[in-house]
Amino acid sequence: MGGSQHWQEHWNSRRVPFQEECRRARAALLADLGDPGAAQRRVLADIVDVCRDSLHWKERGYDTVGADAKSFREVLPVRRYDDFVPEIDRETRTKGGVLSCSPVLRWLKTSGTTGAPKRVPYTLHWLLTYRIPAMQAMWGTYLDLHPAILDHPYATLDTQTVHESVDDFLYGVQYQAISNRHPRINSRDWNPPWATAPWFGLEAPSAHAGRMYHRIRHLVGRRLEFVSAINPSTLISLRDLIAEHGPELVRDLAAGTLAGRPYGEPDPSAARHLQSVLDQGEFTLTDVWPSLGAYSCWLSSSAGLYRSKLDGVLPGARAMPFMSCGTEGVTTVPVDRSLDSQPLAVGQAFFEFVPAEVELGRLLDAGERVDTLLFDEVEAGRDYHLIMTQGNGLYRLWSGDIYRVDAVRNGVPWVHFVHRDGVFHSFTGEKITEAQVTEAIEQALAAYGLAGGLYLCGPRWAEPPHYVVVGEVPRPGAELDHRLSDAVDRALAAINIEYASKRTSGRLGALEFRTVGRDTIAAYTESRRQLGNATQYKYSPFQKDTDFVADLVGGAGVPR
Amino acid sequence: MIETKRPPQNVRREIITLSVDGIDLALHLWRPRGETKGAVFYFHGLQSHAGWLWEVGPQFADNDIAFFVLDRRGSGISGGERQDVPDVDTIVADYVTAIGHTRELIGDDVPLTLFGHCLGGSFLAALLHRPDFTVRYDATVFCSTWLGRLHAVLGEEERAALAAETSTEPWDAGLRSADFTDDARYRDFIDNDDLAARTLTRRSRAVLLALESLYLDPSRPRLPDVPAAFVSGLTDPIIDLDATREVFQGLFADGGLAVQFPTDRHYLFYTDVSRSLVDWTSTHTLLQGLDRGV
Repeated sequence: MGGSQHWQEHWNSRRVPFQEECRRARAALLADLGDPGAAQRRVLADIVDVCRDSLHWKERGYDTVGADAKSFREVLPVRRYDDFVPEIDRETRTKGGVLSCSPVLRWLKTSGTTGAPKRVPYTLHWLLTYRIPAMQAMWGTYLDLHPAILDHPYATLDTQTVHESVDDFLYGVQYQAISNRHPRINSRDWNPPWATAPWFGLEAPSAHAGRMYHRIRHLVGRRLEFVSAINPSTLISLRDLIAEHGPELVRDLAAGTLAGRPYGEPDPSAARHLQSVLDQGEFTLTDVWPSLGAYSCWLSSSAGLYRSKLDGVLPGARAMPFMSCGTEGVTTVPVDRSLDSQPLAVGQAFFEFVPAEVELGRLLDAGERVDTLLFDEVEAGRDYHLIMTQGNGLYRLWSGDIYRVDAVRNGVPWVHFVHRDGVFHSFTGEKITEAQVTEAIEQALAAYGLAGGLYLCGPRWAEPPHYVVVGEVPRPGAELDHRLSDAVDRALAAINIEYASKRTSGRLGALEFRTVGRDTIAAYTESRRQLGNATQYKYSPFQKDTDFVADLVGGAGVPR
Repeated sequence: MIETKRPPQNVRREIITLSVDGIDLALHLWRPRGETKGAVFYFHGLQSHAGWLWEVGPQFADNDIAFFVLDRRGSGISGGERQDVPDVDTIVADYVTAIGHTRELIGDDVPLTLFGHCLGGSFLAALLHRPDFTVRYDATVFCSTWLGRLHAVLGEEERAALAAETSTEPWDAGLRSADFTDDARYRDFIDNDDLAARTLTRRSRAVLLALESLYLDPSRPRLPDVPAAFVSGLTDPIIDLDATREVFQGLFADGGLAVQFPTDRHYLFYTDVSRSLVDWTSTHTLLQGLDRGV
């Protein structure tokens, strides 16, 4: 198809080496899990080695620290991302040597809690020693559980990573999301066999719907065995997109076109099959691809709420978990089919924990010493703040993530992400914070010359899910509801790039803003206090559901 | 020699602080994690600094070459007065210290190439002719350098006036990123790099003139018999290639080596020939380490 078989040659030449790389990485992961203490000591020694001669460590006197957990924790402070900003500013100019002694090849862009996107240094050492091996180990597990992934060039649809041109730079160095693997840095960078497939490369559209259409167009009629995503919403949208663009897909398949333009040979058989699926009315992805045996995505914590939906869309396909990770680093890597919990990736970072009930932010604000626990000191059934020291030089970083230790097996904590510290909910990885919503509301109100008051924000499960905010204004009304809904939604998208991405792709619906009069929420909060523990109850803008909407504005929204 | 069958290797990038006369100078280093088989010490030009070499440094290191760049006093992240070139003795002392430290780090057996880019080549040529520069080196490369530029473009009276210049008023070097590269990404970087120097104090130009005099003086000392190369694009929008080659040939008794890469832009490392220049310089450096028994 498309006149070029180059990508299939690439697939064939990479198939066995990729398999071997993934197998080796998985074996190394399992070996680390067999001796987690040695793995953590090795990681710490490696990080001290790559950071000891950095400018920052030398200036702070950290260069004399021993590569042992005790002296490391005694000398280096726990930090937040914002604490690293001055060093990151310097590192953008030098491209390495400030936080660690490794060249910065890219800057990774991710949402910041204060509105400005973060800049995470993507160093050569981190790439080679940690990030790529983690990907390989995870795919090693997938290959172990579902070898059909590499049966043929059309066997796998990988939506985890993308290849997109980059147009944002920091002092000449690319600044992009970690999921964008373009361009490949060297031959040891992430390079699956399908890396040059036409639905995976630069020729695929960058907009979510267009890219998904591209993928589907190439793979309908093929024996698809496995589809991989990060967020479950991507899999749901795959099915929705086929439903929405079904007739167009049938036409393209039958005519040998892609979006109406000539592309490959006509495939009347695939067109007939898809038409028959569409004729069913309600259909599943396994109707489209009866060969589909497995899928993977995040399935723990709030993402787990998608599970029944996924069962409906992918009946008969087996679920496999995605690693627990963020731009800042990898926390767990799946080793089996367990969906709720995975082993701490002891070879990925030096991990420390603080019980979740400790107000870590307050301690750090006060400059107080923070006592941490090591991986072998945590207890099953408890929640912890996660503190990571990564091979890119971001040491003792309070991630802001709360993890629950589900079990300790052979000395390794099995954990899952619970929520962001201070963040109530995240439908599909957007992780909006109170600070972000507050800022968005303030911006929107200011645009209309209004001063802000209290607000409540909660997640509403709908098709698609979205957030509902009830906020105090001087003169509430339906017209203002409409305007503020739009303004707050747009402001939040500008502040949080993940939210923007999910909004653009239709995985999140538009935020709904309902106005109420002054003191309404204060009175409501006060009334709630009387219902529960009066001492501990306090105003919290983020609510776990949207019950407050009915309480405050009623079904028709009359009482204001 | 370079191991040609291995995959890309991990490399280190360090910033070494050298204190000279109370000023902290940044000596930037990219090096292989394994054995260092050669070293290149880079003299940056008027505008740039080590931060411009974020792609080149790791490429040298991947070729088993340790790549050193001193942010000249007042440039990059080094201390010192910005937009100002101190006196000749201070400059020479800074380079003597940095190259001496480089030789100490790499050891006596590793071949060392001194590589001057643009104005950096003039600093290099001047340094070579100073008796207090005694560090052993194994090759020199002058890249897109206009050797003796001020002597070429200024008449005798103008040079005399310039030599007496003591003003700290800024002099605009008139550099245009479009002359350096056609690549929009690099042009944008050059235009927005807040560490780049775009002007010099007028008295600094007097220092540059004095540096030129060190290597243009007919009574200059004879240089050791070390391979020298002049590297450039096919044409250059900033320098007069014919004029500089004439000076270059006069400096090196055997005429030196002339190498041209197929570009018409000035900053070769921001053009399509960058990788070729790194590889050529790497092999040129490594070959100086061969024991030819002579």
